[in-house]
Parts: sequence; structure tokens; C-alpha cells
Amino acid sequence: MSKAKGLRTWPHLAARRRRPSEYEIVSTNLHFRTMFEEYSELSPSIPMNRWYRKYVRESPLQHDDWDAFRDPDEVTYRTYTVMQDGQETYVDGLLDEHDELGHDRSLPDDWAATLARLYTPARFMLHAVQMASAYVVITAPSSTVTCCAAYQMSDALRWVARVAYRTSELADHHPGLGFGKNERSIWEQDPAWQGFRELSERALVAYDWGEAVVALNVVVKPAIDEAFLRQLPAAGRRHGDLLLGLLTDAQLRDSERSRRWTKAFVEFARQRAGNEEVLARWVEKWAPLGDRAIEAFTAALPESPEAGATAVRDARAFRSGLGFVS
Amino acid sequence: MALLERSRWYDMARSTNWTPTYVQEEDIFPPDMSDVFGLGMDVWDQYDEPYKVSFRDYVRVQREKDTAAYAVKEALSRSDYYDKAEPGWMTILKSHYGGVVTVEFASASTQARMGRFGKGGGMRNMGAFGSLDEIRHTQTQLVFAHEHLQRGRDPEQFAWAQYGNRTNNWVNLSVRHTFEDIEHTRCAAATAIMTSVFEVTFTNLQFIALAADATKAGDHVFAQLIQSIQSDEARHAQIGMEVMRLMIRAGRKAEVQKLVDISFWRNWRAFAALTGLAMDYYTPLERREHSFKEFMEEWVIAQFDRSLGDLGLERPWYWDIFLDELKWFHHGQHLGVWLLPNTVWWNPPAGVTPAERDWLEQQYPGWNETFGRCWDVITKNVLDGNREKIQLEIFPIICHMSNLAITGIPGDRFRVRDYYLDYEGRRYHFGSEVDRWIFLQEPARYKDYRNILDRYLDGTIQPPTNEGFLQYMALDEKSWGRDAHDYQWADKFPREHRTS
Repeated sequence: MSKAKGLRTWPHLAARRRRPSEYEIVSTNLHFRTMFEEYSELSPSIPMNRWYRKYVRESPLQHDDWDAFRDPDEVTYRTYTVMQDGQETYVDGLLDEHDELGHDRSLPDDWAATLARLYTPARFMLHAVQMASAYVVITAPSSTVTCCAAYQMSDALRWVARVAYRTSELADHHPGLGFGKNERSIWEQDPAWQGFRELSERALVAYDWGEAVVALNVVVKPAIDEAFLRQLPAAGRRHGDLLLGLLTDAQLRDSERSRRWTKAFVEFARQRAGNEEVLARWVEKWAPLGDRAIEAFTAALPESPEAGATAVRDARAFRSGLGFVS
Repeated sequence: MALLERSRWYDMARSTNWTPTYVQEEDIFPPDMSDVFGLGMDVWDQYDEPYKVSFRDYVRVQREKDTAAYAVKEALSRSDYYDKAEPGWMTILKSHYGGVVTVEFASASTQARMGRFGKGGGMRNMGAFGSLDEIRHTQTQLVFAHEHLQRGRDPEQFAWAQYGNRTNNWVNLSVRHTFEDIEHTRCAAATAIMTSVFEVTFTNLQFIALAADATKAGDHVFAQLIQSIQSDEARHAQIGMEVMRLMIRAGRKAEVQKLVDISFWRNWRAFAALTGLAMDYYTPLERREHSFKEFMEEWVIAQFDRSLGDLGLERPWYWDIFLDELKWFHHGQHLGVWLLPNTVWWNPPAGVTPAERDWLEQQYPGWNETFGRCWDVITKNVLDGNREKIQLEIFPIICHMSNLAITGIPGDRFRVRDYYLDYEGRRYHFGSEVDRWIFLQEPARYKDYRNILDRYLDGTIQPPTNEGFLQYMALDEKSWGRDAHDYQWADKFPREHRTS
């Protein structure tokens, strides 16, 4: 074979006259489930083909080229593991250091009881985020959206593990408060959690793929950010808990990355006429559930009368930063 | 560091089921998506993944692996190995990349499906890690395939790595039909089982065995790449093994056995066509470690017996048919691909020089009296310069299940059969009794499928000419294949083979 001229890159990237990034080389235009008349070559009547037709192909959210979506952070698997390995080393350091300082032992009993009520049961809520993100992985009609959702799913798994870790530590130092035992019944029954539980359950069954993204990324996750990752540790700092805020700040780093791709997604979707109304309708539907979840949770925070209003305001600020009025 | 042992908190991180009340449990876990077998939550709560990993350890270990793999990629950029590598070896790379890479990406969704619709908390967590693994496999291989684009050696054939499965090429149709059936169109429980059969047994074949051939060929880049990929498999391949255990304990062994039987056969056919050709015909003779049959026996059969035998499962009912096919099936597939090289995106070597034929006869006694007879005719035509006699003029009959040509044994022991089926007024063609049996297990799944020949005959492919056919399969002069050695292999035959 004589040596011919090479190709600069994949054909779909070659049209633009610039070098592709590694992200573009490895993340773009990879799904085949979007390319043909049906989701799969199996009969159109099988449940999975019908699911995709209903919840993806026939979604009110449409675009001529979902494949053109780009993650503004251009995360790849390789950069994700480098980044998160570094972040986990940092968190290990926090845990180790605070253990040596006797942090948990010196927490006042009333604050430890608050953690048993309002912190450790969060593993269910964060796992719901993990599951809902997994749904976006499997339905998104663009490999770039799938990838964003996969890293987001993994971030959630990360924090479920850290909450489980803290639950075990707190059980060691504050036995008798139900750490490691009562979380499920608190999640299922305590009024503080019912807003988030309802929000999580409903988000898990929002099966239209576009609605799933909007519910999860525009409403659910920001509500968790404001109530759980900001207001809870703010109360904690007034009760001698410095570790919680350091951990939640680390978690907010992951959340901020989600917010960035969410913003890019909304702007991308808006390119197509008609999507603005669809997105706005979904935000209008889900925002009140998010606010209720925030209010129910923050009402239980000790000495935090402003927490609810602040968190609702800040969640709304994120949405208005995306151009939504609800 | 005074950090807790993983065992102190691991169970909590997977105890994540609760009783929903704002929606129904079966809205969160619809049976078609989660579990058509109707096992209770009490069963799923027992899910206990054998390989445990924490997020913290995962990102550290995977980062280290990637550092090693990407260092090798840097070596690839600098090396001229690929400028000089044997055509047969380049063919193996192209066929592998073009068929496999985006299947890996689709598997990220398979794993995430278990991550969303699996009813066991541990299953969902392992699915999340598995999804990341598959993204890793996709992206690492895309980086390597992309390097080849710039080297100028059939770049359009390497480009198939990114878009091949997005085309209607007959090979990609076969790949999609197979993996969509196994991985993408069933509930999480069935998906887990069928995917595990694929990963525990067959991916070993393609990856580990090919790594051995690659090392022998001096392609340390490819060898290291795919060994690194395979090191992830052991963990997420286990997801379905635990599902099998749970279901068998719950008295559902027959259902598990059937899923295993279907998955094993569909994998067998796909890997025979992909890996069988690579090992017995494309790998240069002096580099061959073992024959395809030997590798199947060492890796696939042994692994299958070990893993599934441990669970109390039987070998599939068609085992004797399978053992028989091991001796001859892929030889016919190779003939088909070589005779229609312009329908694939790689350059198939013939693999039938005198020395290669001796090897084939040694590994597969009777090869010369059977497949050798076809190659006798072909070789003679090549030597006589009758090129028009060595291209097939029509497309062979295609199996409605595997989407491979229906082949058999030619020559002195002629045995070729179309295992056809008339169902609801339509005739279906199958390459084996087992493919037909799979269809009959759930006809509704398969009956509306139109294979590439159907599309030619029903007017889907336009124009209905050879050119139209090739266009439909997304091939052109830059991407379609030709004999890897430009027929020079025939010069190894003595003069008396020629007519004049």
C-alpha cells in the first residue's frame, strides 16, 4: 500500500478548520441509538423501542443536531479521574486531620443529633441523584450529554460514599443517636425530609429525557446545593462543626461543574424554536417542588430562621441566571 | 492516616433502597426496565457484589492505569512501527476498532441501565463504575485509532472506529443486532446476565488473546492498550454473575439458563467472525500463538465452565453443535469476507500460502479437502490473472439472527444448510439450528427485522445496484477493502499451479 495523505481527524470534526481537542476526539458523535428509524434493530413493538420512541424521539424537546452539544469543561474520563483523584486525596486529608483533632468527639450532643437527623439520611437523596443522572446517561441523544451525565452520576456516588463514611465515624463518637441505623426511617418519615423525598421520587419517574435533565439539573440539584450543601453547614459552623462545611464545599465543586454544563445545555436547547417554551414549562412545574423541599428541610435547621428564604432565593437566582423566570 | 477501613462504611453506601410513597415502587422500577421476573425487593436487597471498590480507590487506580496507557500512546506517536507493520496486522487493528469501539460506548449505557433500574443498591453502584469503565474503554481506543488517521496508511479505514456502527454496513448491522439483543433491549436483570456472559467469557478472547498475538507481532502499543482495558472487565463483568446467583437461589434457574444459552450463542457467532478471522488468517503465520479453536478452548470454554459451572448452570443444550462449529464455521466466514472485500472497511489477507495452508491443516484436519478446495480454485484464478472470477457477483444469503452469511463446509465433505423458518407468512433464514431456536424463543422481538438482503429486495436500498449497495453500506474507494497483499501471496505457489 502506498502511503497516502492522512486525515486530520474524524470526518465530522474535519469541516471546522481547527485542531480538535482530545475531548472532541473521544466524546463526540458516538451514539448509534440515535441514527436509525428505531432505537434498535429489534422489532418496533418491543418495550425498549417503544420507551425510546415515547421518551426520547417524541420528546417535546427537539434539536436538529444534539451531537453538537459540548461540555464547557471538556471533561474526559482521563481528566475526570485525574481531577477526582486529587479531590479525594484532599478529602481524605480533611477526614484524617479532623479525626486527629478529635473533631467528632467535641461536637455538642445537640449538633450531633442534628447531623443524625439532617445529614446522614442524605445518602438516600444523593443516591436518587445518582440514579436520576444514570437515566440521562441512557437516554440522552448525544454522546456529549451522556458523558456529562456519567461524570455527574459518579460525583453523586462519590458523595453517597462520603456520607456513609461520616455516618460510621459519627456512630463511633456519638453512639445512641441512631447513626447507621435510623437513616432510612428518617428519610421515609421525618417531615424535614419529605420535600426532598417527594422531589426525588417524582424526578426519578420524569421519564421524558428532556424533562429529566431539567428537573434534575435545574431544580433538584440546585435545591440540594442551597439547602444541604450551604445552609446546613452554615448552621454547623455555629455549632462547632467545621468539618461539615469543608466537605460540602468540596461537594459544591462538583455541583458547580454540573451547573456549568446545565447552563450550556439550556443555551444549546434554546437554539431551536419552540424549546424555550418547553423548558420554561418544565421549570415552572418543578420549581415549586424544589422550593417546598428546601423549606421543609431548612425549617428543621437549628437557629436558622433565614435559611429557607436564602436558599430559595439562591436556587431561584441560579434559574434566573439560566434565563428562567420561575 | 487514621482513615476508616472500607468495610466500616461500604454496606451503608449500598443500602440505598427505600419504600417510595409519593410514587409507586413499580413506577420507579417498571418491570420491563428493571425485572420482568418479578423477584421481590427482599431478594434484591441480598445483592452482594463479589468485587468491591470505593470511589476513592477507583479514581486513584484508574488514574494510574491511564498514565501507563497514555505513556504508551506517546510512544506510538514517535514510533515508526506502524509505518512498517505487516498489512495483516494493520487489518486486525482496523477491524477491531471499527467493530468494537462504539459498542463499548453503548455499553456505558448498558451499565448505567443497571445503575438506574437495577433493584439492588450494590448492583446500581457497580453499574455506575461499569459505565465509567466503558467510557474509559471507548475513549482510550478512540485516542489510539485517531493516531492512525494521521499516519496516512488507509486512514479512512481507521476512521470507521468512530462512525462504523452508525452506518448500515453489513458487519455493523450484525454487530448492532447482536449487541442490541444482548445488552440494550431487555430489563436490567436480563441485561446483567447476558452482558456478563459476554464479558466473562468472550471479551477475554478478543482482548487477552489478541494481546498475546500483538506482543508477538511486536505491537506493544496495542498489547498494552487492550490488556489495560481488560483489567477493568473482571470487576464489572461480575455484576450479572451475582444476579444469576440471586435468581437461581430464588428458584429461577431455567430462566437464567435460557438467557445464558441465547447470549453465549450470539456472542459465539459474533466473535467467530471477528476474532476467528484475525487469529487464523490475518495474524502473520510466524506470529500466531495458538489457533482460534485453541484459544476458544483455553479461554472461552474453560472460563465458561468455571464461572457458570460454579453457579450450577449447565452447558447450553447445543454444546455439541457449538463444538462442531469450532472446527469449521469461521473458515467459511473468512472466505466470504475475502471474496467481498469491498463490503468491509479493512483489507483482508487471504492467509492461504502453502505454509499457511499447512498450518491450517495441522490445526483443523481436513481443511485442505474442504475449504482448501475453494482456495484451490481461487488461487488458480489469481495465478492465471482471472480477477473477475474471484469477486462474488451476488451477496450471499444472510442469517436473520447473526446477520452473517449462511455458510457451511465446502469441498469433499460438503455440508451447507439454510435453517429456514416460515413464520406468519414470511420466510426467515438462519445459519444454524440455534439461531432459529433463538428466534422462536421470542418471535415478537425479531420478526420485524429486515436484514441487508431484505432491504435490497424490498427497495430500501436505492439504486438497487452494486453501487447502491456499497453506498448504503457507507463505503467508497477510499474505505472499502482489497486483498491485503495485492495478491502477491499467490506467488508463493510453485509454477505448476498455473494453467499455462
